[in-house]
Amino acid sequence: MEGIKMSSSKSIMSTHIFSTDHKTIGKQFLFLGIFFLLFGGFQAMLIRWQLAYPEQPVPWWLFGSIVNGEAGMITPDVYNQLFTMHGTIMIFWAITPLLIGAFGNFVIPLQIGAKDMAFPTLNMLSFWTFFLSGVVLLVSYFLPLGVASGGWTSYPPLSLPAGGIPGLGQAFWTLSITLMGVATMMGAINYVITVIRLRAPGMTYFRMPLSVWGLWLASILNVIFVPVIAAGLIMLLTDQLLGTQFFLAGRLAAGGGGDPLLFQHVFWIFGHPEVYILILPVWGIVSELLSVFSRKPAFGAKITVICMSTIVVLSSVVWGHHMYTTGMSPLLGKTFMFLTLLISIPSSIFFFNWLATLWRGSLHFDPPMLHTMAVIWVFAIGGLTGLYNATVTADIYLHDTMFVVGHFHYTMAASVLFGGYAAIAYWYPRMFGRMLNPLLSKIHFWGTFISINLVFFNMMATGYAGQHRRLYNPGEFEFLKPLADINIFITISAFILGAFQILFLYNFIHSMVKGKVAENNPWKSNTLEWTMDYPIAHGNFSTAPQVVNGPHEYSNPNVKDADWVCQTVKIGNES
Amino acid sequence: MKKIIKTMTGGIWLVDPPKDISLNGYRIDNVIQYTDFVITLYFGIVVVSLIFFIWRYNARKHPHAVYDLGNTKKHRYLTVAMGLLVFFSIDVVIESMAFKDLKEAFWKFPKGEDVVRIEIMPQQYAWNIRYPGDDDIFGTNDDIVPPQNILHIPVNTPIVVQLTTYDVIHSFYLPNFRYKQDATPGMVTAMWFQAKETGDYEFACAELCGNSHFKMKGFLTVESKDEFDNWIVAQEPEVTDDDDDWGFEEEDEGVPTKWGWQWKELK
Repeated sequence: MEGIKMSSSKSIMSTHIFSTDHKTIGKQFLFLGIFFLLFGGFQAMLIRWQLAYPEQPVPWWLFGSIVNGEAGMITPDVYNQLFTMHGTIMIFWAITPLLIGAFGNFVIPLQIGAKDMAFPTLNMLSFWTFFLSGVVLLVSYFLPLGVASGGWTSYPPLSLPAGGIPGLGQAFWTLSITLMGVATMMGAINYVITVIRLRAPGMTYFRMPLSVWGLWLASILNVIFVPVIAAGLIMLLTDQLLGTQFFLAGRLAAGGGGDPLLFQHVFWIFGHPEVYILILPVWGIVSELLSVFSRKPAFGAKITVICMSTIVVLSSVVWGHHMYTTGMSPLLGKTFMFLTLLISIPSSIFFFNWLATLWRGSLHFDPPMLHTMAVIWVFAIGGLTGLYNATVTADIYLHDTMFVVGHFHYTMAASVLFGGYAAIAYWYPRMFGRMLNPLLSKIHFWGTFISINLVFFNMMATGYAGQHRRLYNPGEFEFLKPLADINIFITISAFILGAFQILFLYNFIHSMVKGKVAENNPWKSNTLEWTMDYPIAHGNFSTAPQVVNGPHEYSNPNVKDADWVCQTVKIGNES
Repeated sequence: MKKIIKTMTGGIWLVDPPKDISLNGYRIDNVIQYTDFVITLYFGIVVVSLIFFIWRYNARKHPHAVYDLGNTKKHRYLTVAMGLLVFFSIDVVIESMAFKDLKEAFWKFPKGEDVVRIEIMPQQYAWNIRYPGDDDIFGTNDDIVPPQNILHIPVNTPIVVQLTTYDVIHSFYLPNFRYKQDATPGMVTAMWFQAKETGDYEFACAELCGNSHFKMKGFLTVESKDEFDNWIVAQEPEVTDDDDDWGFEEEDEGVPTKWGWQWKELK
């Protein structure tokens, strides 16, 4: 404690920019994440414009003239760049920093009663490496031949010079994600060690809030699987720049070459755990917030933890379900299908626990709760529609169609977005000392909830009707022409969805200055992050908290006059 | 049963898939329909409970929550029951349907005299198609190579296709057959299908392959056996000067020639 205070000089550089305080770093990740979320979202609007109104000039309110030059139309190469960068930015630079970066940093030490991360300097380096990776990505927009356009999966040989994409865009893409991976690894090691080593006295593993569990499990997956993709990407980079042939084969490979399928395996060995890396923090936060806003212990919290851990293990052995159409061995296909379907068991159990937490609770529909309950809705759809894609036969038809796009947007975009909004609304008073405007929050919630379902459900419908992915103009095909109306409907819904996010941004910034000043524990939560005065000093706790309760002692009959009790306060019968 | 499921799920996707003209497409439609049914059921349970809890247990109506950790033995049994219910109602059913279909249809390649064999080699952004010709051997002078993107098949006849690619990864996607198969550099992949109805259909590339991926369209004509035989006789064989030079090297205005490979026999 003393050491931390003495070493921090008071200059702006050290308190706001190169700060080693986990709370400041968390906010930095939050701001950067929101910036990229808006940037990636804007590109989604352009993609939707093209799909609904193919080859028509982009209107001024989508900044048509700036983005697309004089003709004002999106060309096929720009379209490919748009969906490539939309996916890449949303997954690696928006969702990852928003949940793991921002809330992993901000919440983990506070909730487990630690003064800071285990390695504060590494934490600071993690953010700035992440920042650098974002800069590398953004610089590629200024390359003469533009950014990468090989899809967010960047399958070789398309993503190699021999595949026909001109310029250095692909190499910048590979380099920036490798850097992002380095930043993620630094952060993940920090979170894992912090949880293992720095829990306050009495904070046993099962007394940790479920939000910490989710973030911790996600970090463990990060530590294991980010190195895999980093290795694969370095091989891809040498293929792109130095002429090696790890992933090149066939006519294009001069000396025999390697195997393009190898990249797909490496990519999805990481890529499937990655979707759980993105969703696990949401599951944890949802499990926790349901308990807080139902004023009731999280139902079967231990079983929820066991289920999430089981999914962590299963998630690492199911990557093959992304590759059913590559011509894999029948035995492998069946095995991957069986393993993938097994995930339905733990998922259904914690869904059951979520609903049982609400049962006989006393539900308070504050904005964080609304977003949390929306996660139950959208993740139910996202998870259940995964069954089609896990089934080898159904996937032969649905693979690489808009059905898959709709499905993973439900699981990753909608669930993570609502989880992120729940987390922002819930911890905003701790981060900025003020409350978000509840009315604006509720308008934003309902607008988002309705439009997001219209967008992603209808995406799945177009996929079911046969529309394959990454089409510049679906009207090229006779069998897709009947879908023109539904595509226009999706696009209009997407624009409405986008407009409501601007409302959120206004609320987010405006409340920072003008919002109602928050009390120390506005939601009456049990967990440790609400025990100190705002602003929380560097070092968090003046004395190490002594934890005596689990995090979910809401409405405990032994507590008099309140339906909550802080984790450090003994529940006694002595009085 | 199919009708009942369809009615119960109300056709949840609100649109129809492309017309199924294949022998085995119904199997895929069936497994999709069962999944429609079972996910509608489970999603219905989630939504009904959500709505009921919101109505019944909101703080105004129910100001004091019941303290319940959900960690008793009874709860544990309930949890296990939940897991088993899901396992048997979803996993086991879908798996047995899918495995049966794979064994009986999709992974059971037809053999025999009447099988029509075709080699397809997509390139950026067109489909090269090759029939073995009179000698029934690929990679010889009498191979039939129709103009790019033109594929004719006889109706009610099993078609076996082997695929590889000229450049990047493509995917041979037949919406009306509910089927697709990747074509990957350095390997030969295989698929089979059979048409039940004649007519003109489209096929597409389902794997991103570059800027004109969206234009990579092929035209499939399903016709009677006689019409097919007449059509194939009318095609010019791929006449070449010498037999030695088979490979990917030769190109004529971007159209590769002499690219056929020896048919890979499947076990």
